[in-house]
Amino acid sequence: MEKKLLEIKDLYAGVAESGKEIIKGLNLTINAGEVHALMGPNGAGKSTLAYLLAGKADYAATSGNVTFAGQNLLSLKPDERANAGLFLSMQYPVAIPGVSTNNFLKHAVNAKRKYMNLPELDAAEFLKLLRASAQELGVTTEMLKRELNVGFSGGEKKRMEMLQMQLLQPKLAILDETDSGLDIDALRIVAEGVNKLHTSENSLLIITHHLDLLNLIKPDAVHIYYDGHIVQSGGKELAEKLEQSGYKSFVEA
Amino acid sequence: MAIDTANIELWGDNIPWLCGLREKGRAAFKQYGWPNAKTEAWKYSYFNKKEFEALHIDNTPHHCDCNGHCHCHEKTATPFAAYGIKFCNGKLATEDFDLPAGVSVKPLVEALFGGEAKKYLNKSFDMAKFPFAALNTALIENGLMLVIERGTKLDLPIFIYYHQHAQAANLYNIRNLIIAEKGAKATVVEYYEGSAEQPYLQNVVNEVFIADSARLNHYIWNKEAKVARHIALNSVQIRQNGYYEAFVAQSECALCRHETYIELLQKGAAAEVNGVYRLSENGKSDITTNVCHLDEHTNSHQLVKGVADGSAKAVFQGKIHIAPNAQQCEGYQQHKALLLSDEAEIDAKPELEIFADDVQCAHGNTCGDLDAEQLFYMQARGINMAEARQILIKAHTDDALGKISNKNVQNWLLEKF
Ligand SMILES: Nc1ncnc2c1ncn2[C@@H]1O[C@H](COP(=O)(O)OP(=O)(O)OP(=O)(O)O)[C@@H](O)[C@H]1O
Ligand SMILES: [Mg+2]
Repeated sequence: MEKKLLEIKDLYAGVAESGKEIIKGLNLTINAGEVHALMGPNGAGKSTLAYLLAGKADYAATSGNVTFAGQNLLSLKPDERANAGLFLSMQYPVAIPGVSTNNFLKHAVNAKRKYMNLPELDAAEFLKLLRASAQELGVTTEMLKRELNVGFSGGEKKRMEMLQMQLLQPKLAILDETDSGLDIDALRIVAEGVNKLHTSENSLLIITHHLDLLNLIKPDAVHIYYDGHIVQSGGKELAEKLEQSGYKSFVEA
Repeated sequence: MAIDTANIELWGDNIPWLCGLREKGRAAFKQYGWPNAKTEAWKYSYFNKKEFEALHIDNTPHHCDCNGHCHCHEKTATPFAAYGIKFCNGKLATEDFDLPAGVSVKPLVEALFGGEAKKYLNKSFDMAKFPFAALNTALIENGLMLVIERGTKLDLPIFIYYHQHAQAANLYNIRNLIIAEKGAKATVVEYYEGSAEQPYLQNVVNEVFIADSARLNHYIWNKEAKVARHIALNSVQIRQNGYYEAFVAQSECALCRHETYIELLQKGAAAEVNGVYRLSENGKSDITTNVCHLDEHTNSHQLVKGVADGSAKAVFQGKIHIAPNAQQCEGYQQHKALLLSDEAEIDAKPELEIFADDVQCAHGNTCGDLDAEQLFYMQARGINMAEARQILIKAHTDDALGKISNKNVQNWLLEKF
């Protein structure tokens, strides 16, 4: 039986301050346990959608609604959304000078535990948990001691996003171009991370420009996104068609 | 009885030179006049004269007024391995100093009686320019004379704990002389902690003398009672290749003004004056520095980071003066503050006064809110707004604490400040 995890209905949204419209009549349903890919040209509004779902204050919905795990997602604060199981791997992860990666991750893990009424982990317990995940993702202890994302290379930042995803075990992970700018090994690491998180309960929405990652993770659905809404949905063959003939063929169709 | 500096009987009034010095202090205090909005050096941090006049001076010889209930004679517990010294309500409570060879600590009265103090008292600053230091001189009695003797390298910090807990609006007047002789190396920590609910005034003057190739680390945490005021002058003279590392941490109270006046007297002399303040309610912090480069090849570095929230008010006045003969000097100053509410106020007045041409000097001043992108990133990881803000605020102040070279002191402040 299919269980709806995320349901977006007739969503119109844009820049909160200016009212500029970016998302124009979007419909998308992701069931528990599904992997969806979202592909669209630069500036189509993919990151805007991701940010809006995560709760970034720069963006606001003007109409439509979004239900996540039975809750009205848009009424929740960003941290409440995260704790309810939504995770956004950002296209441009933010550097936080003065806060060590270790310390930041501990705050994040304990925030989730607090939300779930579990006792917070102490330094030793946390380190044990962290070591196991970090090693798998090729995140070194040296990196963990450094200030979060400060001076990290593009690929290192993406690995850090994957590490956070692994630690927080979200119900729905949105990967906004996590596969961009990665070397072959890192791409495989991201694919493994996705496949590991992907269970009959957990879902992913993968925003990407490339076929490479999709070949490694086998999406249940591929959506072509253009000018703020989905113009066509299908299987992986859509991504292959896109690779060959570009967006033109979808828009003109 | 309301304050009347002329009619207070102090120890040693029968010693002519001392009596004369106090008289000069009174005259200078009067001459300066009560600082107000029109007094340039005090325009951000003056306070009501009536509140000053309502203060009491406890000139009785006993150590404190707690009728034997306090533990002021017990050995001072220090937060890390250190030589502890304690003041209780403005009076020295430690009798047994227990210090290693090469270090001498005396109650100031003893050094006044013996005359050793005379050589140093009022030798590092001009009373005409510092009204509260003039007042301090008029009331000179309590404090320490601390000498790190020639070549002595002290293994542990000297930790001076000032505990203000008397329920009285007292004026506590502390004068310390800190002398690092040639080649000596030491760390001195001053921790002012107040728990009184009366608006007392702590008026401190430290005169610091750093001889050739000596090094002094001087760390100060002003954590007075919320209603209290703290006014301090740290006046420092540094000779050839001497090094002074100062750090001041200011917690919130009605007024906390910490002024540092440094004279880099000879070639190779260097100083660091770093600090941090954190205000969240309606207190006031003032960090004022004046670093004078008086000879060539002298260096100074300053980093002050602060936070003002609520309706708090913070002031940073930093001056670097480079004399005409002081070529090839480096003088750097940075003040970075977080202004977290519309009602809070931060005034910054950086000043460069450069009379030499071959020098490297720069000052920077930034003041702003927390970064929205960083806050969102943390929230997106499940951390709530209040906690995210605290993490960023702590990162901001920890950055300044990173300048403290003594790791025990640094860790203490990282954890407790
Ligand atoms: N805060 C903002 N203010 C004004 N315009 C914005 C804002 N945020 C996004 N936009 C605009 O909205 C459009 C969609 O941007 P978005 O980042 O969502 O695109 P994208 O599909 O993620 O593109 P890419 O593939 O390049 O990452 C762009 O034209 C962008 O300039
Ligand atoms: Mg994007």
